Amino acid sequence: MRSQNEFSYGGDATVKRPELDKEISDQDWDNFVYNRKSLRGKHWELWQHLSGCRQWIKVERDTATHEIFNTLKANEEIS
Amino acid sequence: MQKYSIFNLVKNAFSGHQNWDLAWKDPTPKKEYDVVIIGGGGHGLATAYYLAKEHGITNVAIIEKGWIGGGNVGRNTTIIRSNYMHDDNALFSEFGMDLWRKMSQDLNYNVMFSPRGIINLAHSDAQMNVYARRGNSMRLNGIDAVLLNREQVKENIPMADFSENVRFPIFGGLMQPSAGTARHDAVAWGYARQADSMGVDIIQNCEVTGFDVIGGKINGVRTSRGDIKVKKIGLCVAGSTNILAEKLNMTLPIETHLLQACVSEPVKPILDRVVTFGAGHFYISQSDKGEMVMGGDLDGYNSYAQRGNLPTLQHVLTEGIAMMPFLSKLKMLRTWGGIMDMSMDGSPIIDKTHIEGLYLNCGWCYGGFKATPASGWTFAHTIAQDRVHKLNAGYSLNRFSTGHLLDEKGLGTKTWIS
Amino acid sequence: MSQSFRLENIGLINRDKKLSFKFNGVTYYGYEGDTLASALIANGVHLVGRSFKYHRPRGFFGAGVDEPYAIVQLYRNGETEPNIKATEQELFEGLEATSVNCWPSVNFDIGAINNFIKIFLPAGFYYKTFMWPKSFWYKVYEPFIRKAAGLGIASTKHDKERYEHKYEYCDLLIAGSGPSGLASAYAAAKNGARVILAEDKPRHGGTLLTSEVNIGNQSGKEWADGIISELKEMPNVIVKNRSQVFGYYDHNMLVMSERISDHLPKTKKFHPKQRLWYIRAKEVLISSGSIERPIVFGNNDTPGVMLSSAAKEYLKVYGVLVGKSPLIFTNNDSGYETAIEFKKNGVDPIILDTRKEPQSEIVDEAKNLGINIKFSHVVVAAQGYKKVKSADIAKISDDKEQLGKVENIKCDCICVSGFWTPTIHLASQSGNKTKFNEDIDAFVPGISKQNETTLGAANGSYVLNETLKSSFEAGQELSKKITNNDNKISFPNVVEKKSTTHDKFWCVPLPEGKNYKRFLDFQNDVSVSDVEIALKEGYRSIEHVKRYTTLGMATDQGKTSNLNGLQLVSNIENKVVPNVGHTTFRPPYTPVSIGAIVGREVGKHSKPTRKSPMHSWHEKNNAVFVDAGVWLRPRYYKQGNENLFEGSKREAKNVRTNVGVCDVTTLGKIDIKGPDAAQLLNRVYTNAWLKLPVGKARYGVMLREDGIVMDDGTTTRISENHYHMTTTTAQAANVLSHLEYYLQLVWPELNVNVVSTTEQWAGAAIAGPKSRDLLQKLFPNSDVSNEGLPFMGFIEGDLFGVKARIFRISFSGELAYEVNVESDNGNFMWEKIMEVGYEFDIQPYGTEALSTLRIEMGHVAGSELDGRTIPYDNSLEGLLSKKKDFIGKRSLSREAFTAEDRQKVVGVVPLDKKTSIPEGSHLVKDSNAQLPNPKLGYISASCWSVEHDNPFSLAILKDGKNMIGKKLFVMAPLKNKVIPVEIVSSHYVDPKGERVRS
Repeated sequence: MRSQNEFSYGGDATVKRPELDKEISDQDWDNFVYNRKSLRGKHWELWQHLSGCRQWIKVERDTATHEIFNTLKANEEIS
Repeated sequence: MQKYSIFNLVKNAFSGHQNWDLAWKDPTPKKEYDVVIIGGGGHGLATAYYLAKEHGITNVAIIEKGWIGGGNVGRNTTIIRSNYMHDDNALFSEFGMDLWRKMSQDLNYNVMFSPRGIINLAHSDAQMNVYARRGNSMRLNGIDAVLLNREQVKENIPMADFSENVRFPIFGGLMQPSAGTARHDAVAWGYARQADSMGVDIIQNCEVTGFDVIGGKINGVRTSRGDIKVKKIGLCVAGSTNILAEKLNMTLPIETHLLQACVSEPVKPILDRVVTFGAGHFYISQSDKGEMVMGGDLDGYNSYAQRGNLPTLQHVLTEGIAMMPFLSKLKMLRTWGGIMDMSMDGSPIIDKTHIEGLYLNCGWCYGGFKATPASGWTFAHTIAQDRVHKLNAGYSLNRFSTGHLLDEKGLGTKTWIS
Repeated sequence: MSQSFRLENIGLINRDKKLSFKFNGVTYYGYEGDTLASALIANGVHLVGRSFKYHRPRGFFGAGVDEPYAIVQLYRNGETEPNIKATEQELFEGLEATSVNCWPSVNFDIGAINNFIKIFLPAGFYYKTFMWPKSFWYKVYEPFIRKAAGLGIASTKHDKERYEHKYEYCDLLIAGSGPSGLASAYAAAKNGARVILAEDKPRHGGTLLTSEVNIGNQSGKEWADGIISELKEMPNVIVKNRSQVFGYYDHNMLVMSERISDHLPKTKKFHPKQRLWYIRAKEVLISSGSIERPIVFGNNDTPGVMLSSAAKEYLKVYGVLVGKSPLIFTNNDSGYETAIEFKKNGVDPIILDTRKEPQSEIVDEAKNLGINIKFSHVVVAAQGYKKVKSADIAKISDDKEQLGKVENIKCDCICVSGFWTPTIHLASQSGNKTKFNEDIDAFVPGISKQNETTLGAANGSYVLNETLKSSFEAGQELSKKITNNDNKISFPNVVEKKSTTHDKFWCVPLPEGKNYKRFLDFQNDVSVSDVEIALKEGYRSIEHVKRYTTLGMATDQGKTSNLNGLQLVSNIENKVVPNVGHTTFRPPYTPVSIGAIVGREVGKHSKPTRKSPMHSWHEKNNAVFVDAGVWLRPRYYKQGNENLFEGSKREAKNVRTNVGVCDVTTLGKIDIKGPDAAQLLNRVYTNAWLKLPVGKARYGVMLREDGIVMDDGTTTRISENHYHMTTTTAQAANVLSHLEYYLQLVWPELNVNVVSTTEQWAGAAIAGPKSRDLLQKLFPNSDVSNEGLPFMGFIEGDLFGVKARIFRISFSGELAYEVNVESDNGNFMWEKIMEVGYEFDIQPYGTEALSTLRIEMGHVAGSELDGRTIPYDNSLEGLLSKKKDFIGKRSLSREAFTAEDRQKVVGVVPLDKKTSIPEGSHLVKDSNAQLPNPKLGYISASCWSVEHDNPFSLAILKDGKNMIGKKLFVMAPLKNKVIPVEIVSSHYVDPKGERVRS
């Protein structure tokens, strides 16, 4: 178990960057850059073990209670 | 309405204070209103007040999930200022400063607005230049600003660290003398009392469960205390904006975050300015009760919990001691958390939406309290006239698409970095 | 003065060690093991302070953390600390303390005038007045109110004490070492669990120290002592006293503050004053006990009115009588225990019991001892100003609404017991939704959200036998889950007296015609009538009541007042208490030193300081340093009496005419390796990277996804699949994270690794027309000619036996190189450069000259790349590839970013060629325009151009492209400056860039 201080937050893990060189609408681009659901309850999000192994991980956490349910490695897909 | 005055206070004293009126009533919701304001916080209450006062619209309900003033208006560090660099922010806030100056008289409720001045400390020449850019801009916008050198800062706040044993020495600071603090709860209660007296229904313990939108138009709102027919809804729920937006199928450029604050035990007056640290993120003022009111960084992850963790406060207080070493011997008495609407450029949104009759007031980040009167005033205008006022024209929702961003800090979309 | 209230043969204090101390200038004596409170009471001192609002006299109310009254200013070892609870402060030789919140003295306090005009000062009065005339609030009323508020005085001296942090993991953290804490700790420890047992007080044992019980044929205290000494011997147990677990945070992280030196005259050398423990526990057992709550009656704040349990504690722990003719006012059996202790020690108490005919072993014992008991009686009001002199008492009807005839009886203290309130703070902080227990009229923990169990009195259980049983079981079960051991402990035999139910009575009605203040919150002076007013005015939510009246907001955070406040609100509102609900319990449970929370990161150590390997050379050579983030960099190297302006001008001039050397170690450096490295760079930077040859460097700009410039720098292809990236000093960490983000999450298919090498390389920039000559002498075996090492070229070289990387890159606009060696060789490199450079008139230059050189060249840097500008604004649009996609490209087509009159970087020269332009000034068309005066742009960076010998600035200017040649005004109202200027190209020196290629 590592201290919270070692980790840095990276935002909503379900936001996918549009593929390079692909035509997309302004709306889709804004959804990627700016718009966030940010809801109460379970939330998949990114954290980086900044003062440690520097791996990005995906964490399923409750935004109301801060309870952590699930973690995935960077290359694992959220099911 | 019963007027608050010395005369009335004395008169009531002799009758054992048994004859004070209700500050606001506790009505049951009607079936229909002209306007429903969702959110009984400072902004919602102020909006209702200005709708009634400036636009004569009094068939208004404020719907509050809990008790009025229980959100961020009752959880902030009470700082009031207009020391902004961007014109849209500066002019909006300075308009608000005027409303603050006359608020106690206007509301007949002492909100204890105290223009004690705010000092942003600078710890390098480069930072002095960044502050000069902001201060010069303020002055060109007609807002008071003074650049202080080290000695002048010392005259104002001798208890700051001017010793040799300091990591980031104080070079000077930017001061807005007319900035200050107010009693946060009183602002909510003062607006509530006046709005109520003009006929606004303040409905507490009433949660919004859904919206009635027909053909792209607002037709009503569903609540835990029944459905209400209404054509115009003002959403004023910073901290819960994303939750209600979801019920409207909207996704906004806002993340919901947690900000902690704390107070020390009360001590005799020692600090009579609001001060912010320049080599980090920490701010402090001393309340009339004597408590040091302190805050700083966000906890740094999406959260709806009004409770945070100690490492963040440790970090914040580390900067506090770095700035004012005497804090070390004081004791932290109380900590709490508030839920912030962190917008993607750090500035708020007061605008119409693609749904006719739905108006948005959100994205206040750390800066909602000071904006209370100006936000209420411009939002009331936007709702009443169905168009934005020039003061809130810059706070449009589509500025993110157009690129007309108002990024005071230059941090971009990573709202959790402060 | 003599300790006339000290008893001979009772107490846990060390009578062999007499201590002298001063209170308000008077010298007294006490014993080791006393608190300041017990020592003062032993000396008959009951007046210690004044209340917050009315300045009413204040004495002692409790004997621990719940104390609302006895707040003092402490003087210890030449330092002073405000707001110390006398009930918590242990006595030490030479302790000095004074009363707070009174002037000129605690005996005669001017502020007490508020007490006589109190009818004008009800709850919320200040919201209703002080509004006229308008400016008077800030100028007149507020300063007056501020002065009156605030308790103790903060010292402005630097805190010389040291505070430490400790991180600990354990299986079970047990908060509180009363019976339940001891039993559960013992059971768990015997079962092999790693246990931390924390006790706030100096002595372990909790209520066992004061109650008359037997456990396993020993007295409660003997049993507790035995358990503690056994636990202390066990390697898997940490036993801590003077340690308060004050916060329960996420994921079973608890924080405890340990007072290591506060009880000593001074902190021992190398010892901290306090230690903060971050404890991650698998399971938490909360055995924090309960706090007695008062019964509310008239003038119940008079010194001498106190909790009955406190009176008992003073007696049994400290051997001190709180009075010699005590009145016990109770609604339950606890008061009898106190009365019995008085009686046993030769003092005759009178018991007033609100109950009609209670039947229990304890009541019987009191009767048998011949104690005067008045059933169905209440205290109507305490009489006496600075100390209780008598009490008005009356019989009360069975429905508790009618008072009988009021009579006055003499007494010198009133010990009150209104039953017990479980200390549920930690459970509540953990997320546990508390529930109301009707049997005890108080909240107890409900369903746990984290791994937490509340035991004993904190859980509302007041029968020792049950408490011990459940605690042994809990310790056993929870440890079994963790250790899989199953060592059963034999359960000891418990002898205790049975008590009967309490009376739900909590507030004495006012007698006819009397208007006594009946206080709920003693420190903040909140009375029954204040709460009534708040409710009458519509402040009905419990949070409104709290905020309007300040109930429960004092330094004791309502430990003795909150529940009675709730009772009152529920009575008036005709609700049951659980429907009113309590206000939120938040950390800390008791106030914690800010110094302890912060720990060692103070003074110079508040943030790390990063220094380059050449730092000591800079120091020896009169460098004046500047903070660049956490780095220290030479700003200029002072010669003689030079100031910054003169020194930096000299250094910059020397670069333009001879050669200079600058320490650029702080630049971020990232090693990039892998077959897809070029692909990564091509996506991250705005320009094309796929065709960069080995041995070549390229300048690049990277954007955020929103189109804003994130950073710039050069990247060099060291070998086929190996690149060396440089970033700005400020953005080094962010850029690394940025690359890692894309590599790990967005494009995991790219086979690339990145690692920071900022610390691995020392860097020296060598710039100026003579730099090649110098380089040739430094690297005689390398071909550094314009052909051998062209602009943006890279070679590896041998610097007198040290391997070096040589990049031909320039930030100054001059012919320039950057030499990197491994950090350990940095100083060697630097000294060699200076030594060999001597013949070329080399001078080191600092960041100020560096700035001058880049500004007059029109190179953008941090002041232009401020997180708000796009490439176009910085005249970097030439670096935007049209052929490929890159991070942030899609955002650049936004309306505002493509506007015709978009802002752009320009040069600014004062018309008089003399007046320096302050950075942070703004450009306007009309310097006399009415405010708000529209701003066209701002000065981002200024210098004294050494090339042209006149001031020169860069500005970001609206429609900058079309403004060249125009005349505008620079305005700096903060400095009262208006300067007429001309807009020129941002490239003020060598606009064609010939020098860097020469």
